[in-house]
Parts: sequence; C-alpha cells; structure tokens
Amino acid sequence: MTLLSNIPPGLILILGAIVLLLLPATARKAGAIGLAALGFFATSQLDADEQLSISFLGYDLMLLWVDSTSKAFGYIFTLCAVAAFIFSWHEKRRAENTAALVYIGSALGVVFAGDMITWYVCWELMAIASTFLILARKTDKSLKAAQRYILVHLAGGLILLSGILLHIHFTDSIEFNALPKGEIGSWLILIGILINAAAVPFSSWLPDAYPESTVMGGVILSAYTTKTAVYTLIRGFPGWEILVAVGCVMAIYGIVYALLENDMRRILAYSIINQVGFMVCGVGIGTELAIAGVVAHAFCHIIYKALLWMSAGAVLFRTGKSKCTELGGLYKTMPLTMLLGTIGALAISGVPLTSGFVSKTLIVAAAEHQNYIWAWLVLEIASAGVFLHAGIKFPYFVFFNVDRGLRPKEAPKPMLIGMGLLVFLCIFLGCRPAPLYDILPFKDAIESTTFSAIYVDHFAHVVTMFQMLAFSALAFFVFLPWLKRTPTISIDFDWFYRKGAKLFYMAMDRSLNGLNRAADKYVIKTFLPALARFALQAPAALTAMALKPVWRAIDPDETRLAKRRDELLAQFTTGTFPIAYSAACILILLTLLILIGRATA
Amino acid sequence: MSETPEKPFVPDKPTVSRRFWLALWLTCGASVLLEFFVHRHEHFTTSESAFASATNGFGFYVALGFVACSGAILLAKGLGWFLKKKEDFYDDTP
Repeated sequence: MTLLSNIPPGLILILGAIVLLLLPATARKAGAIGLAALGFFATSQLDADEQLSISFLGYDLMLLWVDSTSKAFGYIFTLCAVAAFIFSWHEKRRAENTAALVYIGSALGVVFAGDMITWYVCWELMAIASTFLILARKTDKSLKAAQRYILVHLAGGLILLSGILLHIHFTDSIEFNALPKGEIGSWLILIGILINAAAVPFSSWLPDAYPESTVMGGVILSAYTTKTAVYTLIRGFPGWEILVAVGCVMAIYGIVYALLENDMRRILAYSIINQVGFMVCGVGIGTELAIAGVVAHAFCHIIYKALLWMSAGAVLFRTGKSKCTELGGLYKTMPLTMLLGTIGALAISGVPLTSGFVSKTLIVAAAEHQNYIWAWLVLEIASAGVFLHAGIKFPYFVFFNVDRGLRPKEAPKPMLIGMGLLVFLCIFLGCRPAPLYDILPFKDAIESTTFSAIYVDHFAHVVTMFQMLAFSALAFFVFLPWLKRTPTISIDFDWFYRKGAKLFYMAMDRSLNGLNRAADKYVIKTFLPALARFALQAPAALTAMALKPVWRAIDPDETRLAKRRDELLAQFTTGTFPIAYSAACILILLTLLILIGRATA
Repeated sequence: MSETPEKPFVPDKPTVSRRFWLALWLTCGASVLLEFFVHRHEHFTTSESAFASATNGFGFYVALGFVACSGAILLAKGLGWFLKKKEDFYDDTP
C-alpha cells in the first residue's frame, strides 16, 4: 500500500474545501489548484479493485471502489479542475471556490462509489453544490434559473431514489452493477440518470441554467453533471438498446437548437447535449469498443468543452456580453483567446490531429461494427453538425462576423494559461492518444493506437473526415445569410414548466378557486343562512300552527292572536320559553318514548 | 492633440473575402481529389441494403457533409418560425 492508496479523492476535495473557507483570497485560490492536483495524484495512486467500506445501518457502504472506468473519470475530473481553477484566478469570492470544490468532490464521490447509497448521497450533494455556482452570478435571471435547476434536479433525484429503493427492496443488495432489464426499479433509476444526462425530453435544464452561471461556474458545470451521468450509465446500463435511440435524438437535437441560439454560452450548452448524445449512444451499443470509446470521448470532451467554455468565459469577462448579436470582431483585440478557443472548436469537431478525432471515431466505429446503420448515419450527420454549430458558428459569430466596435483587452494571463493547458491536451491526445487509450476499460478492443497507425495507415479515414468537414464549412458559408443571428430565445422543453406552470396555475385558479367562489356564493352565503332560518322558524311556525286552535278557544280576538304568535316566535328566536311550555314538551316527549318503548318491546 | 484614425484590420478588406472563398473552394476541391488516391475502408460489408453499399460510394462523405449541414440549417430555419420568441418571452413567469 502506498501513500493515498485507499483515500477517496472526492473526500480530499470536500474536506479541503471546508479548510479553504478559512483562508485569505490568494491562499484560497492557490489551495483550490493544489487540492485539484492532489486529487489527481490520489487518483493515480489508486489500485484497481481497491475498496474502502464503512458500516452504516446494517449496510456496508463502499466509499471507494476502483476500476479502470472510474479511474479514467477520476483523472479527467481532477485534471479539468486544475485547469479550471488556474483559469479562475480572478475569482475572489469564498463561496464560489468552495461550491466548486464540493461539486467536483461529490462528482468524484459518484465515480468512486461502490454502492447505491453512497452514489445517491454524492449525486444529491452535487446538485446542491452546483446550484451555488449558478446563484453566484447574483442576477435576477440567475436566481430564477438556479431555482428551476435545483427543482429539476431534486425531482430527478427523487425518481432515482424511488428506483434505488425498489431495487434494494427486490434484490436486497445495495451493490451498484449492471441493472436487471425489465424491472420498474431499473427504469426509474435510468430516468433519474437521464435527467442528469440532459437526455431529450429532460434536456432543457442544461441550456437554461449553465449560461446563467458565472464565468468560472460555466467552465466547471460543463464538465461534471452530465459526465457523471454517462459514467453511471456505463456502470448500470451497458447495452440497453433504447440508449442508442436516446443518444441519436440528443445528438441531433443539440445541433438544431445550437443553430437557433443567439447566446454564445447557450450554443455551447446545446453542444454539450449533442456530445453527450454520442456517449449515451455508445453506452447503448455496449460492446467493448463502444464502452472504451465512450470513456475516451468523455475524457476528450471534458477537455475541449471546458476550453470552449473558458474562451466564451474570457469574452464574457472582458466584454460583459454573451449574445452573438452584440459580439463580433473580437479577434482584433483578443487574438490569443480566439486562437485557443478555435482549437477547442476544431477539437470538438473531430478535426484530425485533435483529441475529438481519436475519441469520436471509436464510438462511430463501434456502431458500424454492430451494424447499427441508422445510428451510424445519425452519428456521422451529427459529427458534421458539430463542426457547423460549435466548430464554425461559435468562433465565427464571437470573434469574426461584424465588427461591433468592441475593443476589450486580451484575456488575463491566468485565463490564457488555463486555456493553454487544455489546448496542449487537445493536440497532444490528438497526435499521441496512447496514454489515454492505456487508461481505458477494454483498451485491447482499440486497434490503432499510434500516430502512424491512425494517420498514415488509415489515411483514407483522414481524407473522408477532411471531406466532410470541408463541405460542412462550405454549407455554413453558403447559407450564412440564413444563419444571421436574431435577438431571440427558442422555446424548449422548459416551456412546459415555465409557461406550463403559469397555465397550470391559471387553470387551477379558474377551476378550484372558481369552485371556491361558487361554494361561497351558493352554499355559505345562500344555502346555509336559509337552512339556519328554516331550522329556527320551522319549529316556531309548526308550534304556532298547533297552538292556534287553543289560543282561539281562549281568546278569539285576531289582534291578540297575532300578538301571541309574535311572542312565541320571539321566544323561539331567543330560546326563552316559559317553564310551563318546556315542562309540557318534556312530558309529551317522555310519554311518546314510553309508548314507543312498550310498542316495540 | 488630434486622434489618430484607427488602423483598419486586414481581414476587413473586401479582397480578403474573395481570397477566403477561393481558399474554401480549393480546400473542398482538394478533399475530393484526394479520394482518388486512397483506398477507402468498406462499411457494412455484410449488409445487402442499397443504403449500406451507398455509404461506400465515391464522395459519400462530401454529400454527407454538405447535405447534413444544409439540412440542419434548413430544419433550424423552419423550426425557428415557431420556436423563436422575443427575449422577454419568459419575463412574466416564475
């Protein structure tokens, strides 16, 4: 056993986050970078099959459970965190650094969780901590977006929890492995995970919330929630064919909405859904090559997506703007940000010599090997579409297009260093993917691992990719007038809970409150007083009717007769009867009772 | 002190636009020509459908790139007619 060989890396970040709260700004920022680096080191020290469990309520909770998949996710989660914290050196707020570290720590907790209870607790902690990264923007919009975000995730969490409880109930095991098909618990767990994976139609929370976060928040958020969902899919649902369809829909949906979008960070948010679509599809294919491809793609995706969010973040940081209709021509004063962001855009497009090329190819090849012709075609179409919206549209409308007279300064040095680190990884992994392939599960399923095998022996593949990208670019510029940005937003599935909630409220207001009003008007204000009057006056009227012949016999004068009647009514109203009346009534009642009793005996 | 007029940036010149289009067409042309010199790996060799064999045809990826992207743009444009709303669309909602 070596140093840190059985300490959950997530725990280091979460405990460290609490300590950092007490430190001054510079130490805190340096500490965050240090903790992320320590997390990376701790991940590297973990041996496969390493476990750490504690006993809780009769269950053995496995806080640490290591295999090659979890280790690969652990590496990239911590590596991305190092770059993100370097990039966010400008961020002085205590809460944001802490929230980010707890968020990343709990994401690592999910990845290294050996049982469903640990997994669920970390999953919910992730949702809570990430909400603070959206709230930290401190605008009215971000507050509302954060509210919607946490509500969606709590709902998803409850669905997941009900699935987990059903699963534990039926199997009497909290182990987190491939789940049985056709059981209601498995399906609920799948829905809970797919909500976090931003699968259609549970997708709109992502482009709703992420673009409202802070500059640092966007970079951090882009990496973890959806990728922990992909990880849990790999672990629980490999080979579930429905995921092939879900992934294909996500890949196309992401492209179409990214094309409609005006906000640069929302374009990138939709592009996350498109990319996670590739991964979900790969999990659905479920072969060794597909799973290796999914892990490789998640690894590379986190790098170039964080890089893209960083370049957009740097633009937002310097200009305070994020809409394409307000941006343009920034290459003039932010050339380095433009260059670094464009390399990220090329990597996400899968341009040869970048990381996207060596990872996406694996999933597409797996679809082909399994004869999923339609899925293969959709993935190829989606690959072309990625270049369209993220590869060209994003850099073109932000850094080129129309010069709007913006002359911001170049991004601060720490931002450039953070981006530079990721750019290096994008190109390094694109040219030499062997170190990445080495840490993958089922690495033996990958045939071409060296530069010459990928780019020389399979030069035809490079050519076809080059063709597809060149003609995608041609389509972009031919149809450029049609892509002119408008200051608009697009209706997405969040319409159902944003407008829908209002409509629901109105419908409830009309129906239930209408029912209330009707009940008030007809029952409370009309029927009940009438009933009360009847209850009061009916016995009086009946008594008067019965007494009338007696009174007439005593005194036939009509005026006095009327007076006696009024007196009787008044006595009924006030409940004050002469004792003789009461005694007579009691006597009559008792006589009646005795008679009835005798008759029935 | 008089302000010196801002020096125009090179890519704003109209000639650059012409050169850009030329470069784009040349790149596309070169990519098509390259296919003559490589031996492409065959897809879906076990499948007998016409589509599967079409994926191995010359220029399949050329068509795929252009048609898929044009299709995506047209689809987005079409959907935009009823999906795009003004930015204040949700302002009256929680």
